[in-house]
Amino acid sequence: MQRRREEEEEGGGEGEEEDGPESALAKSPFQLTAADVYDISYVVGRDLLQLGGGPAVPAAVARLQFRIVRVLEMLEALVSGGGGAAEGRLRAERDGLRQEVEALRDAAARGSAQQLSLGPDKAVIDLTDPDRPRFTLQELREVLQERNQLKAQLLVVQEELQCYKSGIISQKRDQTEKLETESSGNDPGTSKDSKDKTIMKRLFSFKHGK
Amino acid sequence: MKSSLMHLVPPVSRDRIISQFPKWYTPEACLQFKEHFHAQVRAACQRSTGTVGLKLSKVVVVGDLYVGKTSLINRFCKDNFDRDYKATIGVDFEIERFEIVGVPYNLQIWDTAGQEKFKCIASAYYRGAEVIITVFDLADIQTLDHTKQWLEDALRENEPDSSFIFLVGTKKDLVSDAVCERTELDAIRFANEMQAEYWSVSAKTGENVKEFFSRVAALAFEQSMIKELEKTSGRMAQIGAGNLIKLEKNLMEIPEGNTQASLSCC
Repeated sequence: MQRRREEEEEGGGEGEEEDGPESALAKSPFQLTAADVYDISYVVGRDLLQLGGGPAVPAAVARLQFRIVRVLEMLEALVSGGGGAAEGRLRAERDGLRQEVEALRDAAARGSAQQLSLGPDKAVIDLTDPDRPRFTLQELREVLQERNQLKAQLLVVQEELQCYKSGIISQKRDQTEKLETESSGNDPGTSKDSKDKTIMKRLFSFKHGK
Repeated sequence: MKSSLMHLVPPVSRDRIISQFPKWYTPEACLQFKEHFHAQVRAACQRSTGTVGLKLSKVVVVGDLYVGKTSLINRFCKDNFDRDYKATIGVDFEIERFEIVGVPYNLQIWDTAGQEKFKCIASAYYRGAEVIITVFDLADIQTLDHTKQWLEDALRENEPDSSFIFLVGTKKDLVSDAVCERTELDAIRFANEMQAEYWSVSAKTGENVKEFFSRVAALAFEQSMIKELEKTSGRMAQIGAGNLIKLEKNLMEIPEGNTQASLSCC
């Protein structure tokens, strides 16, 4: 979108956009005047200011990159034939500027991540979102494992409870002296409690007994 | 002998008692045609009175999200159906108790998440599956296309030819008989390529669900009995000698070695 507008400006040439300072960039380098150079300076400076922050940053970076390249192309055209040394210096300068723009672009990406479209392997996290992802895969793995263990124990407890209800366990346990000593002092009022305790004890012995 | 480790269980409910080999769904995609349990297995089962511990087979259920894996399991294990969709997080499991030819037998059914983001967690549970159930939605043909990939992923974690494979089309209640028949033709072709047995079911109405899992249990039970008989050939097969259900934490843990391997996939 932004790109397309730039191209229109460039292609539109001297005609309708003569008034805007941007039009200087569209001129042939050999027709540049001092006023044009000031216009370009103004345009670039304004874009640099916009890099400070806000939602327009990505667009500003793209625009600025385009303009700096254009300026350098003009300079290159002007000095062509002006000797290898000058050309080499300018090339180095251009490359340096390009790197600077790239660095700025990266900084802007970090600073205002939500406005930039990132690569396919990157995601944006809004740190103010209460629902934002914050646990690691390993943590989820551990929680799931713990849940599964607890569920396994619950299944065992449920089955044993069913055994108690249907009287299977108490019959079997009557044969062991352990149960006899445990249940001997029970009156009917507290029998349920003690049964629960027995289940827990049994569970406990499962965990530690082996 | 280790009676303190034995977990006392109530009797198996009547509809989990299997004495005749449950029948297939369609002869066109069926793992075996026998009507009876293997004679040797029968004989071994009769010898095994006074069984200590329980045999356990691992079942893994895979397939796209929202095809109804959890609903299928819940219909069978809890006999309920929840209309609302709730994505499974990572993995879940149920244990279903059977009595097959007089022998107590358990299916440990692992329900895995269909969402891509959980794949690396769920896939760590694929290992050692005696049964792999690949599920698709009869009303969404694309989910059938994806079953091959799901199966491939599950097979990668298992020894070749060590698992029974099932292909299950769900939500039978949502499609007309004509659509169901047409989709079944494709599904049966898929099943044959996957060397799987095919079933159409509905978790909502319960159609074929119990029959399907009985078939799964019978096939897995017979297979594990035959394996055990081979292992103890010469000696008398002692049912329950291996694979005891233990309360120790290792039952619920990811099989050894898998944790490391799966870290690299995410």
